[in-house]
Amino acid sequence: MSTTLASPERQYEIEQWYYREARMLDGRQYQSWLALCHPEIRYVIPGRGNPQVPNRERGKEDMISIERELEGVDSDGLPIRDETMAYLMLRVERSFKANAWSENPPARTRRIVGNIEILGEDDAGALSVWSAFHLHYARPGSASFLYAGQRRDVLAPGEQAGAYLLKNREVILDMAEVAYPTLGLFL
Amino acid sequence: MPIRVHDVVNHDASLVSRKAWSDPHLYELEKRGIFGHAWLFLAHTSQLPNLGDFVQAYMCETPIIVTHGNDGNIHALINSCSHRGLPVCRADRGNAKSFVCPYHNWNYSVEGSLQAIPQEQHLEGRTDRSLLGLKRVPRVEQWNGMIFGSFDEEIEPLDDYLGDMRWYLDAFFGRFPKGIEFIGSPQRWVIDANWKLPVENQLGDVNHGPFLHAAVIPPEANAEVFELGRSVVTAPGHGATFRLMPEGAPLEQVAWGFEGMASLLAPEVHDYLREVQARAIESVGPLRSRMKGLTYGVFPNLSFLWSNTAFKVSHPRGPGKVEYWSWSVVPADAPDAFKRILRGNHTAFFGPGGILEQEDSEAWTQQRIGSEIDFADDRPYYYGLGLNEEKPDPELPGLVGVTANEFYARNFFLRWRDALAAVEDEA
Repeated sequence: MSTTLASPERQYEIEQWYYREARMLDGRQYQSWLALCHPEIRYVIPGRGNPQVPNRERGKEDMISIERELEGVDSDGLPIRDETMAYLMLRVERSFKANAWSENPPARTRRIVGNIEILGEDDAGALSVWSAFHLHYARPGSASFLYAGQRRDVLAPGEQAGAYLLKNREVILDMAEVAYPTLGLFL
Repeated sequence: MPIRVHDVVNHDASLVSRKAWSDPHLYELEKRGIFGHAWLFLAHTSQLPNLGDFVQAYMCETPIIVTHGNDGNIHALINSCSHRGLPVCRADRGNAKSFVCPYHNWNYSVEGSLQAIPQEQHLEGRTDRSLLGLKRVPRVEQWNGMIFGSFDEEIEPLDDYLGDMRWYLDAFFGRFPKGIEFIGSPQRWVIDANWKLPVENQLGDVNHGPFLHAAVIPPEANAEVFELGRSVVTAPGHGATFRLMPEGAPLEQVAWGFEGMASLLAPEVHDYLREVQARAIESVGPLRSRMKGLTYGVFPNLSFLWSNTAFKVSHPRGPGKVEYWSWSVVPADAPDAFKRILRGNHTAFFGPGGILEQEDSEAWTQQRIGSEIDFADDRPYYYGLGLNEEKPDPELPGLVGVTANEFYARNFFLRWRDALAAVEDEA
């Protein structure tokens, strides 16, 4: 990955991609959203725990790094979600059935995506993009909830010029305890 | 006047009051009558391989540290300092030389004894530290790596408490040469529901599958449950559901692990899963080798989901709230890469983001709302489906019925009623 600053045009292009994605997800256009995903997508929400603070690392940033709290796909721990395109397709298919009861009536979501930072580009032109989100969630008959987190994405170039496909997404959730109705959303 | 327990569950438990799911007084009786006198699941030995290893657990609402002491024994300690009550351990799991209270640095060994009171160096008197260790859970026993604790010093041995459930649990554990292990931390989530509904769901209620989960579970899987499904109650409050597959059924139709999508997406684990099943006649015997498990329950709040391989504990947090814990379980002898694939059978379908379990959380939350409404106390919940249709079986221990028979829940509530009645007149 390179570390040079993205050009204003590239930054604008990528921000627009994220705004479009947010509009589709909050508009419940999950089938359209799937078209933004790469066939080899890996969609992950790591588990997030409370590890021991290692005293030997005191004085260093690594002592309290977020990474220490995560149980991701490459760990021997337990992620909350670890999905490929087949799983995402199953979720999307389910979303458009009347007996998907946890979404009937469907939730009302609105997400603000910000802090979009292009961290690098590999030789094949895939971009490493990190961003932050706040998502407001409300369902009739239920309370409202605020989800907050970080996305660590890889966007791969699509076939058309200027198009990108989501190839990797790791969602770092910032909750202390999981007191939400579901983490089955497309975050 | 507090509600009387015998007004909550009728004589054969075919009727259960809505209050059983919502009344604060009954909840206090549950704490004393059930959680004070049961064997409660704490951890699995695979989580604590080394001296000094610890994991956190709960017994009802009481926080527990489970440790592998330097004496080689497993200890269960209440996570609360003897001085001012703060928790002495804040991490979910790890390895410790000692536990130190942040307030005045009282220092405890991993076996729970009080080792140091720093203030004493400025004082003349010496305190008897032997009386001030962390409060120990008085009974801790293991079966097949499963660690349980009880607050009741007089409780029967764990082996007797589990009884014939051991035979059914072994039908799974016994398939793997090195048994099973728990992978990572449990998934934990809070649901606005009563603790008993997740328990009931796993104890025997596989019959909700074709209805609540119709959006995801294919009809042929449901047909298999209707046709071959068995529901067993080994003792009130304990239960097992499984499919008893026909003799000579192809290995992959019987074998554990083929039901989740993880194995479909990972052909490299197929040979391993087939080999496990091919050995099953030898390892667990001809009858149990045909068992294709669904869900199990051990009284009061431990569940085992065979099909998607999770151990679950429903920790009460008041009458209308539960903290649900779900550990992913994998064969201990499988290569690490296979373990990471097989854990996906659990994570994608169950847990707080599970494709299936999000529907359960929804149902459990809505049941709580139904249990709290007014003007419906004369309409207790109906638990009479299949009343007295269960029978002993020549081969299977316990009483056996079809999966639509709700005898597993009636038996649970008979035990529940008696356990609460035993303490309701205590001061």
